[in-house]
Amino acid sequence: MEYLIHLAILISIWSILAISLNLIVGYTGLISITHAAFFGMGAYATAILDTVYNINFFLSLFIGIIITAVISLVFGLILSRFKGDYYAIASFGFNIIVFSIFLNWQELTRGPLGIPGIGRPVIDVGFFDFVFKSNLNFLILVAVATFLIYLIAQFIANSSFGRVLKAIREDEKTIQVFGYKTGFYKLLIFIISASMASVAGSFFASYITFIDPSTFALSESIFIMAIIILGGLANNKGAFLGTVFLILLPEVLRFVGFPTDVAAQMRQVVYGLLLVWLMMYRPQGLVGEYKL
Amino acid sequence: MDSIIPQLIVNSIIAGSIYSLVALGFNLIFGTTKFFNLTHGVIAAIGGYTVFLLGKKLGIDIYLAIFIAIIVCGFVGWLTEVFLYRPLRNKKASAMVLLVASLGLFTAMQAVIAIFFTSQFQTLSNNFGSTKIYEFFGGIITEVQLYILIASFVIMIGLALMMKFTKFGKAIKAVSDNEDVAKIVGINTNKIVGKVFFIGSAIAGVAGIAIGFDTGIEPTMGMNLLLKGVIAAIVGGVGNVYGGFIGAFFLAFVENFGIWKISGEWKDAIAFLVLILFLIFRPGGILNKK
Repeated sequence: MEYLIHLAILISIWSILAISLNLIVGYTGLISITHAAFFGMGAYATAILDTVYNINFFLSLFIGIIITAVISLVFGLILSRFKGDYYAIASFGFNIIVFSIFLNWQELTRGPLGIPGIGRPVIDVGFFDFVFKSNLNFLILVAVATFLIYLIAQFIANSSFGRVLKAIREDEKTIQVFGYKTGFYKLLIFIISASMASVAGSFFASYITFIDPSTFALSESIFIMAIIILGGLANNKGAFLGTVFLILLPEVLRFVGFPTDVAAQMRQVVYGLLLVWLMMYRPQGLVGEYKL
Repeated sequence: MDSIIPQLIVNSIIAGSIYSLVALGFNLIFGTTKFFNLTHGVIAAIGGYTVFLLGKKLGIDIYLAIFIAIIVCGFVGWLTEVFLYRPLRNKKASAMVLLVASLGLFTAMQAVIAIFFTSQFQTLSNNFGSTKIYEFFGGIITEVQLYILIASFVIMIGLALMMKFTKFGKAIKAVSDNEDVAKIVGINTNKIVGKVFFIGSAIAGVAGIAIGFDTGIEPTMGMNLLLKGVIAAIVGGVGNVYGGFIGAFFLAFVENFGIWKISGEWKDAIAFLVLILFLIFRPGGILNKK
C-alpha cells in the first residue's frame, strides 16, 4: 500500500510537470527542453528556505513560484526570439546553465552533496496545526494541487488566450496580422508553465526530503518531453496518461525481474525508442491533438 | 612563477580540435539534411566504447581496433539515416520531428551502452602510446594529445580538399543548396546523404575515441560532446564546414580562458552562454552574415 501511495505521489508530481510543459510544447508549439531547470528552482527554493531559514512549506512554494517566474521571464524573453529547432537548442542551453549553477554554486546549493532533511508541509495557524507527515496525507495534498493545476491548464486551453496560443502554433504570421502581439503570449505562457513546474519541484523536495542536482539535468527535461509526446500534445488528459505510463514503466520492468539500475536504463531505452516510433507512425501521441 | 597562459592556450587548442571534429561531422550532416541530428553525440560514444571493447577487453591490436571502431561509427550513422531519417524525410516530416526522433534514438542508444558497459567512467589510455610529454611554448602536451591534434588537422584538411576538388564534394554542396534541384539534375541524393552520414559519423567516432584516450569514456559523454559540437557549429556558422572549425576553436578558447579565474566546473555554463549570446546577436554565426 505504501508503495502504491509512493507511486501515486510520483505520478502526481510528474503530472504537474507534464501538464505545464504541454502548455508550451503542445498548445503553443514551442519545443522547450528546459523544464527540469524550473522544476529544480522550485525544489531548491523549498529545500533552502526550509533547511536554512525554517520557512513554512506553503510560503516557500510561493516564493519558489516568484523566483521561477522572474527567471523564466528572462529566459522567455531571450527564447521568444527563436523558432523551431533553434528554440530547442537554446532551451537546452538554459537547462545546462541552471544545472551548472545547482552543481557549482556550492555556498547556496551544497553542490553534488545535495540538501538533506527537507521537512514536510505544515499547516500552523495558532489554534490548528497539522503536519502532512504520512504519505497518504501528502498524497491528498499533492493530488489536490495537481488537480488545481489541471483545471488551470484546462481553463487556459479553452479560453481565448488558449486559442491565440494554438493560432501561434499553427501559423504565427497570420495571427500577428490580426494584431496579436505573439511575443507577449509566448512569454506569458512560458512564465505560467515554468511557475507550475516550480510547484512540482517544491512538492518533490518536500516529499523525497533530499535533493541533489542530478534530478534536474537535461535528461529529465527530455523525459518530461517524452511523457507529453507519448501521451499526446495539446491534450491535458494525454499528459496525465503519458505520466502514468512512463512512471510505472520502470516499476513494471523491475517487477519483471530486471535489477534496479538496469530497469532505470531500460526505461530510457523504452521511452527513447517510443519517441522514435511515435515520430515515425504517430506524431500526435496516444490522444494528442497536434502533430509536431 | 610560470605563467598559466601557455597551458591555457595548449588546452584550448586540444579541446578545439576535438570539438571541431564533432562540429565538422555535424555540419556536414546538417548541411545536407537541415535538421539537428542529436544522435551524432552517441555515435562518438560508440566509437570510444568500440575501442574499449576490442582493444581493452578482447586484446585486439589497438590501431586495428581504432580503425574498426571508426568504420563501425560510420556504419551506425549510415544505418540511422537509412532506417530512420530517410523514411521520415520521405514522409515530409518537419525538422522538429526529426530532432525529436534523433533525441529518442540518442536516449535509447546511450542507455544501451550503459547497460552493456555500466555507467562507470573508464579509460582507454593505459595500453596506448607512452606517457611522454612535450613542452610547447611553456605549455605541456601529452603524446596522445599530440596525436589527437594531428589526426584532427589531417581530417579537417582532408575534408576541405574533398569538398573543394572532388565530384562527390560538389554533389554534397548541390544537395545542401537544394535537394530537389539536385535530384532533377540526376544526383542520387539518397546515396549522397547516406555517404555524408557515413563520413560525418566516422568523424564523430574519431572524436569519441580521442576523448577516450585523452580523458576517458562514459555512456553520457555523447551529450556533452554533441552539445559542444552543436555550439561550435552554430557559433561558426551552421552547415558551413569551415564554420564548424572556426567555431570550435573560438568556443574552446572562450571556455578555457573563461575558467582562468573561476572553477573549471563552469565550462559548460560558459559554453552555453556563448551559444545564447551568439543566437541573440549573430544567429548566422561568425561566417554567415545574416
